[in-house]
Amino acid sequence: MKFLTTNFVQCAVKSCHSSLTSFPLQYEECQLVQQEQDYNPEFIVHMLERLDWNAIVQVAKDLGNESLPANKPEDLDPIMEDSQAVLRDLHTLLVETQIVEGKMVCKNCGHIYYIKNSIPNFLLPPHLAN
Amino acid sequence: MLPTPEVKDIDYDKVYEPSEDSFLLLDCFEQEQDYIRKRFGNTSSPLITEIGSGSGIVSTFFAKHILPKSVVLTTDVNPHACQTTLNTAKQNQTENETLRLDAAQMNLTDAIRPKAIDVLIFNPPYVPASEVPDIPKDEADPTWLDLALLGGEDGMVTTWQVLNNLQTTLSQDQGVAYILFCARNKPDEVAEKMRRQGWQVDLIISRKAGWEVLSVLRFVRN
Ligand SMILES: C[S@@+](CC[C@H](N)C(=O)[O-])C[C@H]1O[C@@H](n2cnc3c(N)ncnc32)[C@H](O)[C@@H]1O
Ligand SMILES: [Zn+2]
Repeated sequence: MKFLTTNFVQCAVKSCHSSLTSFPLQYEECQLVQQEQDYNPEFIVHMLERLDWNAIVQVAKDLGNESLPANKPEDLDPIMEDSQAVLRDLHTLLVETQIVEGKMVCKNCGHIYYIKNSIPNFLLPPHLAN
Repeated sequence: MLPTPEVKDIDYDKVYEPSEDSFLLLDCFEQEQDYIRKRFGNTSSPLITEIGSGSGIVSTFFAKHILPKSVVLTTDVNPHACQTTLNTAKQNQTENETLRLDAAQMNLTDAIRPKAIDVLIFNPPYVPASEVPDIPKDEADPTWLDLALLGGEDGMVTTWQVLNNLQTTLSQDQGVAYILFCARNKPDEVAEKMRRQGWQVDLIISRKAGWEVLSVLRFVRN
């Protein structure tokens, strides 16, 4: 799964949804692969507007990347040269970084979800099913 | 006509084979492409979620032809379907056109953040049956395909779970859902109920398929 997707998923247990700690999940023992993807700067600019940046920074840290700025980059414009480098980096991080294997742990209930073959598995065992 | 994605090397004993319902959804989106592009314009990067992606034919079509500037996150309870969806997307991308699609094994949209989904697509298990089958315990189980078809009472048990949650799942301003029904699901009654709960419901396309009449309804907030 793409790094980007970590911003869209949370613990599947219903009672965790109201908890502030259930998002983002905590990423552990992850195996990453870079997979080349089309670079579309407009996509990144508009995606950035809707992303939860704190969660991006948090997950990047889980994955061993401490280089992100604490605040969301603003006013990026694909035709400006200094924006271009930032957009490229974001593209590499969000769209090209794939988590192929690993664990996702809910910081509220402790449930562990697994990623295998790039597919995260959010099915719950019957006793936790909603 | 927009080309139908290629699907190959799929084990149709484990994954739902693209059928009349799948193709009706493709035609539905071909017909809806202007509406959808206008709705999302050039100033957003929408999140598309297809529940129960099966072979992946619908999501691949959508990502490739309808809204290339989107990101797609599909769900299916069936692990074989998740893997097949990824493969189908890969097989249909070209060197200078990669598709932004992830597949997750998930019940409905249980692990997707509230109000995140801009376009929700669902070709549900809609065949009336005594009950919705349990999710098998392991990948080798021979009954995964049953989950593609059997929809419990009126074939509507799974679909109602999605409809009853629509307020929470769809993004506030732009969210739109496309859901497929067969005549035995009584789509007219469903549409009426949803209208009473504040939804604008429109019939987008309908077609006779063998002895079934299939249709796609579009749901947006009023
Ligand atoms: C009628 S098939 C549609 C497959 C594909 N979208 C198509 O149009 O060809 C229904 C799909 O929904 C999946 N499904 C059934 N119940 C589900 C649930 N609760 N959550 C997610 N997917 C489910 C099945 O495994 C199956 O792949
Ligand atoms: Zn949890």
